[in-house]
Amino acid sequence: MAVTLELSNIAKRYSKKVWGVKKMDLQVKNKEFIVLLGPSGCGKTTTMRMVAGLEEVTRGTILLDGKDITDKAPRDRGISMVFQNYAIWPHMTVFDNIAFSLKLQKIPKKEIRLRVEDTAQMVKIQELLERLPGQLSGGQQQRVALARALVVKPKLFLMDEPLSNLDAKLRVIMRTELKAIHLKTGATSIFVTHDQSEAMSMADRIVIMKDGEIVQIGTPDDVYFRSASVFVAGFIGTPPANFFNVHCHIDGKDITLTNENFNLSISRERFENLADYEGKNIILGIRPEDIEIVEESEALFSNEIMVIEPQGSHQVVALNVSDNIVKMIVPAETKLQYNDTLFLNFKMNRLHLFDSDTELRIN
Amino acid sequence: MTMKNPQLLLSMETRRKIMPYLLIAPVIIYYFIFWLFPVINSVIGSFKDIEDQWTLSNYIYIFKDPVFYQSVINTGILVVFSVTVEFLLAFGLALLINIKFKGSSVFLFLAMIPMALPAVAVGAIWTSGFATRGWLNSFLMTFGFIDDAGKFLFLAGGKYASMLLIIIVDAWQVIPFVMIILLAGLQGIGNDMKEAGYIFGGSRFQVLRKIIIPMLKPTITTAMILRIISAIQIWLIIVMIFGFNRIPVLLEQVVLNVDELGSEFFLRIGMALSVIVALIVSLVAILYLKVSGSFEKKDGDSE
Repeated sequence: MAVTLELSNIAKRYSKKVWGVKKMDLQVKNKEFIVLLGPSGCGKTTTMRMVAGLEEVTRGTILLDGKDITDKAPRDRGISMVFQNYAIWPHMTVFDNIAFSLKLQKIPKKEIRLRVEDTAQMVKIQELLERLPGQLSGGQQQRVALARALVVKPKLFLMDEPLSNLDAKLRVIMRTELKAIHLKTGATSIFVTHDQSEAMSMADRIVIMKDGEIVQIGTPDDVYFRSASVFVAGFIGTPPANFFNVHCHIDGKDITLTNENFNLSISRERFENLADYEGKNIILGIRPEDIEIVEESEALFSNEIMVIEPQGSHQVVALNVSDNIVKMIVPAETKLQYNDTLFLNFKMNRLHLFDSDTELRIN
Repeated sequence: MTMKNPQLLLSMETRRKIMPYLLIAPVIIYYFIFWLFPVINSVIGSFKDIEDQWTLSNYIYIFKDPVFYQSVINTGILVVFSVTVEFLLAFGLALLINIKFKGSSVFLFLAMIPMALPAVAVGAIWTSGFATRGWLNSFLMTFGFIDDAGKFLFLAGGKYASMLLIIIVDAWQVIPFVMIILLAGLQGIGNDMKEAGYIFGGSRFQVLRKIIIPMLKPTITTAMILRIISAIQIWLIIVMIFGFNRIPVLLEQVVLNVDELGSEFFLRIGMALSVIVALIVSLVAILYLKVSGSFEKKDGDSE
């Protein structure tokens, strides 16, 4: 697929020692929905603002459809954007807000009306066109912001945490609608969020950032099942992965991962990369749904239930394993009680192993 | 809650009702004594002659006096030009400082100095500046713009030149005040409002005209109304620089009649003139609010 946006080696420095973005290389393909995900201060919003032209680029180049737009004004870039606080203009009607860019382009009035009405229909605000933003709810204002961005048919559609100001219920509804709109329009999109479940549910590919750098780029399945680092495994998932410090012992064909709670034997064939870790400590990650309740005879270790958190569709059980809180997901039907002793094992094909120094993935 | 004593409940209800009035009573009493009473007094006084008889003669005297018409015209010219100049320059400065360039806070501090000076001091500074051997001419000579023979006779100019000087001095003092109001308004406009303007195709000028100025309108109205009212009341600076009766304006004539001419007759004329000035100020203020659309009921404010 054709590349729409290409960021090469871009960086943003605010002052001598403060970098917003240290180094960023990214290719966004045509019609792709990319989510920039990371904790606050990781540089995701700065990256988007550089693409938008609202922030100067300290170093590197930005290509859009093969053209260098690094130093172009925002309006000459062929992009549009949805802002976190909507940023719809309070003195203009909904219609005028949406039509703003079309009017500046001197498009004939008839065509403007048609395009605005089409777009309003798509985001379900066709009845609100004559209203002023002050009369709208937060969700409706967000739809206006969305319509204003969609109506220009941009080469690239930017969204800066557009759902973070909505209440939880509306956020989930808008998530689905946004994805449906994306599938319908096929607009190449970049979406910034700190909400990992939002990222997982919407993205074609997720770009996970930390401290101004990319930690992993991949599909939702990639980042979930093959997390590139302890940070990613601990950031993605509700609840996120559990971690154990284990000692790695290699004896011929057998590898044993040991700590004070368990001795886990794994076959060497499956974990070729572990060869160099004989006698060293590594980090074992396991996702909450990959811890299974088993018969006593098959148990890797046993533990008492500390807390049960019912979620309706499933329950989250928290255990205290040597002062380390471990969370697991248990089907709703399983009858459990506080203080029950559980016999547990891990799903062997779902282990995540990380180097304890670099915290990067080994297997 | 059980209602054991309905009578007590009723009195609580009454107390709740009179409470707000009790709380604002001190202000109302203050207003009656120090504001309303003198106002009524001078309105009544303006309709009486020195023998304490009801009369319109004070007003008739004023309306027959050519100096009155002169002062109305002068005041009008000063208001129109000084407010326009002050608004444009103050708006430009506010936009500049709002960019937050390096040292903009120092610049803001410097720009505010004239605002801190009382009108008497401003008058003194500029009287010594405009003097033929004053600091303005010295300054120009030091830097070689003029030689000794080319000194400007600032204070000897004709009526319009003199008014120009007054506008310059008034603007010098008042621009910081207008700028602060506009700056406060500008800072209330979220950055993303402007950024959205740039993203959706606006140039700097278009964003200014279609987004910033309309969003700033309530602030502009406030600044303008305050400025227009105080421009109508300009007098002290004129008297400080030119003395009485050289450039007659409305309030200067009031002061002249009440304080300088001193007799009971002129005091009555001064009272009548005050009433006229008060009426003019109110009329202009209402007219401005009407024209600027501030009385229109905005249906966007329903929330």
